[in-house]
Amino acid sequence: MEELKCLQLEFQWILQKEVLLVLKQLHDILVECAHRFPVPLHGNEGKKVDKFILTSAPEQLKVVVTLTGDSITSADINFKVQRQQNVIQRTSITQDFPWKIQQVQDAANHLQQAINHIDNVDANYHFKSSEEVLHILSNILGALQRGRTSLVVPKKKPIDELMKSRNMKSLSPNLPEDLAISFYIQSHKLIFAAYQLTNNQGTMKFESTQAECSVPWLNEVLVLFTVALTLCQQLKDKISVFSQYKDFTVGNETTTALSY
Amino acid sequence: MLATNLVVPVVLWGPNTPTHCVSSVFLSRDQRTLATGCYDGQICLWQIDSDFDMTPRCLLLGHSAPVLCLSRASIVQDNNFLVSSSENGEMCTWDLIDGKCRESVKLSQVHTCIQAYHMSNCDDIRLFCIGYYAEIMVMDPFSLEVLFCLSSKVNPDWISALHVLRPAKRKDDVVLAITTTGTVKVWTLIGNENKYSEPIYENESKQIRCLNAITMACCSQNQRTVLIVCAKYWQIYDAGDFTVLCSVISPSGERWLGGDFLSSDRVILWSDEGKGYLYRLPANSIPDNKEFHGPSVGRDAPFLYCVLTNKNEQPLSCPPSMKLVQTTRGGKTQKYLLRGDSEGFINMWAVPDFSLDEIKQLQTANATTKILQNTISTSLEQAWSKMNPPPVGILDQLNHPNEPIIKLTASIYLPLQSRLVVGREDGTIIIVPATQTVMLQLLHGKHQQFNDWPPHQLLSGHSGRVNCLLYPYLVHTRYDKAHLLSGGVDFAVCLWDLYSGTLLHRFCVHAGEVTQLLVPPENCSPRIQKCICSVASDHSVTLLSLQERKCVTLASRHLFPVVTIKWRPLDDFLIVGCSDGTVYVWQMETGHLDRVLHGMIAEEVLNACDENTGEGEVSGSSSEIGMSNPAVHFFRGLRHRNLNAIRHATQRGIHQLQQLNAHNNNDGNFLMKNRNSPLIIQSLRTNPKGK
Repeated sequence: MEELKCLQLEFQWILQKEVLLVLKQLHDILVECAHRFPVPLHGNEGKKVDKFILTSAPEQLKVVVTLTGDSITSADINFKVQRQQNVIQRTSITQDFPWKIQQVQDAANHLQQAINHIDNVDANYHFKSSEEVLHILSNILGALQRGRTSLVVPKKKPIDELMKSRNMKSLSPNLPEDLAISFYIQSHKLIFAAYQLTNNQGTMKFESTQAECSVPWLNEVLVLFTVALTLCQQLKDKISVFSQYKDFTVGNETTTALSY
Repeated sequence: MLATNLVVPVVLWGPNTPTHCVSSVFLSRDQRTLATGCYDGQICLWQIDSDFDMTPRCLLLGHSAPVLCLSRASIVQDNNFLVSSSENGEMCTWDLIDGKCRESVKLSQVHTCIQAYHMSNCDDIRLFCIGYYAEIMVMDPFSLEVLFCLSSKVNPDWISALHVLRPAKRKDDVVLAITTTGTVKVWTLIGNENKYSEPIYENESKQIRCLNAITMACCSQNQRTVLIVCAKYWQIYDAGDFTVLCSVISPSGERWLGGDFLSSDRVILWSDEGKGYLYRLPANSIPDNKEFHGPSVGRDAPFLYCVLTNKNEQPLSCPPSMKLVQTTRGGKTQKYLLRGDSEGFINMWAVPDFSLDEIKQLQTANATTKILQNTISTSLEQAWSKMNPPPVGILDQLNHPNEPIIKLTASIYLPLQSRLVVGREDGTIIIVPATQTVMLQLLHGKHQQFNDWPPHQLLSGHSGRVNCLLYPYLVHTRYDKAHLLSGGVDFAVCLWDLYSGTLLHRFCVHAGEVTQLLVPPENCSPRIQKCICSVASDHSVTLLSLQERKCVTLASRHLFPVVTIKWRPLDDFLIVGCSDGTVYVWQMETGHLDRVLHGMIAEEVLNACDENTGEGEVSGSSSEIGMSNPAVHFFRGLRHRNLNAIRHATQRGIHQLQQLNAHNNNDGNFLMKNRNSPLIIQSLRTNPKGK
């Protein structure tokens, strides 16, 4: 019985003190994360400009890009495709028609939602049950998970969708009809990929070449996402330990007929 | 063998109400059906009789994540179809009459809001969807195909709220939407849009000061005023130029969840506390008024004339889902505020119609706001308690009338022995003859008078709830016929002799409650073949040898809950997928952690395990959801004239058949065996909260 009393007290402490404390900590981490984003987010002004050079195997591919916020505002793109080694394909992106990397905006929006979930809890709120806390935590976890995934695992798109996409229209001059290019983010890297379509007796195939470069702010953002996720999961695990004692409620000193 | 293919499914609900934490509500046009979606992914259909007498009729299982949207599928009044959408991109179209799922898809885009709208030159409804993506997707409710998308040119961002309407005396439709960052956009549709056309961009856009809007509604009477609701405030805008006419912040400690127009001069708002607030708009926000669009006068603010509250409010674990619905009975229209909450309660308020004089009186007298309590209230629990006799449970004969009912928490059916094994909340496991037990609960006859019939066997070894049960012989004959395993809340896995009822061994290796028991594939090394795999809530996975009676491998140190277990038996690898997307590769024999993978590569390794099963391996994946039926994809391919899809589906179909045959040749085939037995008892379904 002594042990149960201790557990009950610990449960009350977690619910009334620890949860709010961890949520505050979590909030600070997420705001910190938001400030690393180069787009307007949570009071951050955004629009950071970075320049990168992406190259692969000598003379095969060279791309010079300017990344402003979540868009490539200018790029000088030169690459060779496997089938025509003697031709250099050239195209560019100009400020008037930027190439938008939707992954950055998606991640930022999911992060904003996670922050909103925390903001919705008043600073001196009294949690009444573990279910209530678990519900908020799974909302936050879900948003963070989706946010991080949008950066780490780029969505796969059919090649014809890519060729029709609005981003492809921002290239000038246009590429030949059997070529497509793509910019995307995978973890902390910006990746450029060029695809060549071939029609092999009715079945379409494509070959690709790619180059990548590391984007410093992405690395920081991902670390903060991971720290926040871990912190949130740890609190959830702590609460779950108590949620098996169904009779535990706040302000109920004596517990009877425990299920375990 | 069965003579016919007739299958009669029967559900024994048991005396305990399933939990139902409502995430979305829906009322059918004919007002006969209410649907509530919940956070576990289930949808409950309620039959509504006269006077809003509601009876739960069906529980639709199909989603594996919270149900965020429910929408009608047709303008036809008695067309009984419902479209649902969940937080992981699953969409289903349900037949409300028999509860069948008519169509399902899984999209990479997740919807958070769907408006069903009948466009001017279409036969039927189209679904206007918004969510975690930057477009507006327009879908067909029956084929669940994306018909076309609306894109943004100026400040493209996620759309947080939308309203589709047809301006008076016009034939085109207008989509009004606002992005999360507060850009209002207008698209005009003429009806010939399709997915092959050039991107459809907005006709107009304007930046306003309004972040993360929740709902947007245009007044249907005058189409001149727009209500936008955010968590902290709601505002009325002039639809002509989008200037703010008035604004009201949320009551202290509450956040707005949504709202709608009641008439051109009145609005209703609802908050996360589950209350409804009725306001009369000031003169500058009512288009018919000569002061419309004028500066807001200090004294003339929106006037709160009535609050809708709930009788005997109990603490909720999350904000309820609410909606304003309109019903027509006997030529009389009445608006109702509908609410479903985390405890499975459905509440309804008939929205009162105050006359202008009454409101003026309240306003001049400075009287306190009228408070109105809900008129209609029901819950799953009430429905359960109303039943007489109560819904039968499979082990009702063991309950003593004067003692509290012991909840059942896990079950498996052993077709070979015709036995049903049931784990209970108090840690006991009951074994009963299946057919006799079913007879007792479902058929009338002499047997119901027998005392203590059918005989049962009681295994007690766990202290606390039994979470899962496994009979490995059913999966493969390499296991001992007598071995039964159970995992409990007391961190232990127990090995039982099924026939003698004795506890052979107690594995105490986990540091959290055991949640799942699995069988490794048959081409593992001889030592691992004698093991079973158990998963616990401390994020650990173990391989427990039934022969050696000890733990062979303890795979712990996972930071996040384990969601998938897969196998690479030929490489001696156990692949553990966690909820954060990380994948841990463990050597089974040595217990050595080979690799930790993140991101793309983690996903590829998990997928590669599935492909591997093609080489005659038994798939050990535990998190497959039933959305990958090749036949379904085949027909979808046919309909969309997608050759690749048809080819792919056919290949997969043939592949599955071959696998089935391969199974059949091994005598340990559980699927075919199960098909052969005339009685199949599916394992118990509970939701996490119900345990």
